[in-house]
Amino acid sequence: MSGDAWERAPLGLLRLDADGYVVAANETFVGWQPRCAGSQSPAEVPGRRIGDLLTVGGRIYWDTHVAPALALAGSVEAVALEVRTVEGPLPVLLTAATDTADGTAAGTVHVALLAVRERAEFHQELVRARLAAERWADRLHWLQDATAGLSRAAGTAQVRRALVDALSRHPAVAEVRLSHPGDTARATVRRTGASTFEVGVAGAAGSHGVLRVRVHDRPGDLPVDVDALDVIAQQGGVALDRARMHEQSASVAHELQHAMLTVDLPRHPGLRLTAHYRPAEQGLEVGGDWYDAFWLKPTRLAVVVGDVVGHGLQAATAMGQLRTAVRALAVPGRGPAAVVDLVHGFVVDRHVGFGSTLVYGELDLATSRFTFACAGHLPPLHVQALGGCAYCWQGRSTPLGVPAPVVRAQGTIDLDAGDTVVLFTDGVVERRDQSLPEGLNALASAAVAHTASPSWGARLVASDGDARDDACVLAVTWRPVR
Amino acid sequence: MRVLGRAGGPTLVLAHGLGCDQAMWHRVVPLLVDRYQLVLFDHAGSGSAHPGAFDPSRHAALEGYAQDVVELLEDLALGPVVLVGHSVSATIVLLVAAERPDLVDRLVLVGPSPRYIDTDDYVGGFSAAEIDELLATMESNHLGWSRAMAPVIVGNPERPELGEELTASFVRTDPRAMRAFARATFLSDNRADLARVRKPSLVVQCREDAIAPLAVGRYVHAHLARSSFVLLDAVGHCPQLSAPAALVAAVDDFLSPARLSPAGS
Repeated sequence: MSGDAWERAPLGLLRLDADGYVVAANETFVGWQPRCAGSQSPAEVPGRRIGDLLTVGGRIYWDTHVAPALALAGSVEAVALEVRTVEGPLPVLLTAATDTADGTAAGTVHVALLAVRERAEFHQELVRARLAAERWADRLHWLQDATAGLSRAAGTAQVRRALVDALSRHPAVAEVRLSHPGDTARATVRRTGASTFEVGVAGAAGSHGVLRVRVHDRPGDLPVDVDALDVIAQQGGVALDRARMHEQSASVAHELQHAMLTVDLPRHPGLRLTAHYRPAEQGLEVGGDWYDAFWLKPTRLAVVVGDVVGHGLQAATAMGQLRTAVRALAVPGRGPAAVVDLVHGFVVDRHVGFGSTLVYGELDLATSRFTFACAGHLPPLHVQALGGCAYCWQGRSTPLGVPAPVVRAQGTIDLDAGDTVVLFTDGVVERRDQSLPEGLNALASAAVAHTASPSWGARLVASDGDARDDACVLAVTWRPVR
Repeated sequence: MRVLGRAGGPTLVLAHGLGCDQAMWHRVVPLLVDRYQLVLFDHAGSGSAHPGAFDPSRHAALEGYAQDVVELLEDLALGPVVLVGHSVSATIVLLVAAERPDLVDRLVLVGPSPRYIDTDDYVGGFSAAEIDELLATMESNHLGWSRAMAPVIVGNPERPELGEELTASFVRTDPRAMRAFARATFLSDNRADLARVRKPSLVVQCREDAIAPLAVGRYVHAHLARSSFVLLDAVGHCPQLSAPAALVAAVDDFLSPARLSPAGS
């Protein structure tokens, strides 16, 4: 390059020694330099270290990045830095190469600096856009993770834990606490200290507590996204509302069912009546099994076991209505088939408990005759005092609400002294590990061996702790009193 | 991670600083291999470290990088080693020696600075605004180092096509990892950790260093018990590149048997 071309090139050009000291600078570069105090001539460039000609960021970057790269690779290309000039920092792209192939010798470094004022603004915009995109990606990731955690949780205790866990997973978060419900704070994030925040978790019917978040505040931590924290706290409030409502309805259903199942069973010197109920163990909701026993008249006992389709509050109320309907419609002289048919009519007219099943029977104490009708329900088990037992497959008809034949069937069993009739629901005989026929056989064997034992029924409904369905057994043993 | 050099010789674990990778030791490795066993590695988020190694929570502070080194030393199970830390890694190896003195024999601190930002009673060399400016500069250039270094890592600058190949397969430096490392480097204050270290150490200071000025090197020496100080006639922040022979001579001298104290052997 001729002297003139070097001096007036539209690039700042420098020659450095191996330690980065300027040996020569062209006119273009010198023209950028700040003027000396009280003088129009630019500050002397040769003899100064290149770092001192750059802004501080560039100076550090030169020593941590550019100089090592030059030493090892022999060249760098288009590094974005800023030169200190008369008019303030001038953005440049710096390209440099050593004049030895591998940079090992203490050679000269040739530097070209291209002023890129406009280009740098464009570049800055790109950098800002990238940072914004990263922030949004982080925000979405955090929100999505929190939403997934909250939606998987069931019950307020789990939702509270899921909310705390979701916030704790942010890399910058050191500790999260959710205070007790009723503790209140503003439902927008507030900074409470150098590294602490709090936000109230609002619910439709009062506060679910206050989230108190402590961040690590380490140098490399990203700032916590306060807007996302706000949204997660809100989502937590909604999830807790839902969980609370669900638990309330489940608890009402449990109470309803409990009230209906803790009846005083009829007493008589010749009768032994035992009833056992075990709720399902999975999930919060109540099932639909129920039983009842009452006097139609002093010498006629009515017994019933039913299974309402569905779960939860709706099943519990349907159960209550069916139970009341049976009690109201069972009158002396009507007989099981007619009673069941009237209950079926109630189901059709009132749209309650469609598809439910029940077995209803009447024991006449004077004749020791048991008459019964099964609407889609499992048959009664007749356990004989002299040994042996049989399922009674007579008296069967369709489930309640399902169109039935003109006349419903009804069955009869004549009991000998000490015989037992067992009414039960499918939860007793249907287990995950056995088929229905196997279950019926197991029940029959157990009945023959153990009906004399008072804890027999309880053992029947006992489970391995993971029962999916509820189970109900009602056993009537009749020994006429002379 | 690479282990090379004389098996059974004293082990030197070489920890690179911010913005680069183990290629930084390129010029000192040939001068050390015949006498020492050398362990070279890349910090999480740097060079060819596995992209999954960087954990935004663990690596938000220098303690996380120190923990990585502790785990590396436990895996190596080579007994107490000499930790050589350049720049921010000088602080990282100090943290290792403070936490797990059982893993460390001696320390070599090349261009250490326990705090970069000036305070009322301390000169680190930079104002908080200047550090922000550096972080912005890094943000604009985050792809530069790995591209420039690819041929060096392959070790054959005469055949740049190998470098191109490597560059293509090279883990793109994750800007988030780089940003976190830069913030952890320049915004930390580890002055109090100097008093926690009781191992013999060598402070290597360049005559003229814009990143870790002479006063900072002297401060480290003054506050670090059992430390020696050596001033290299070198300019810049990377004597392993600008004055490799002088650096190796200082290390040899520091580790020579004649200088080993009975307690340190």
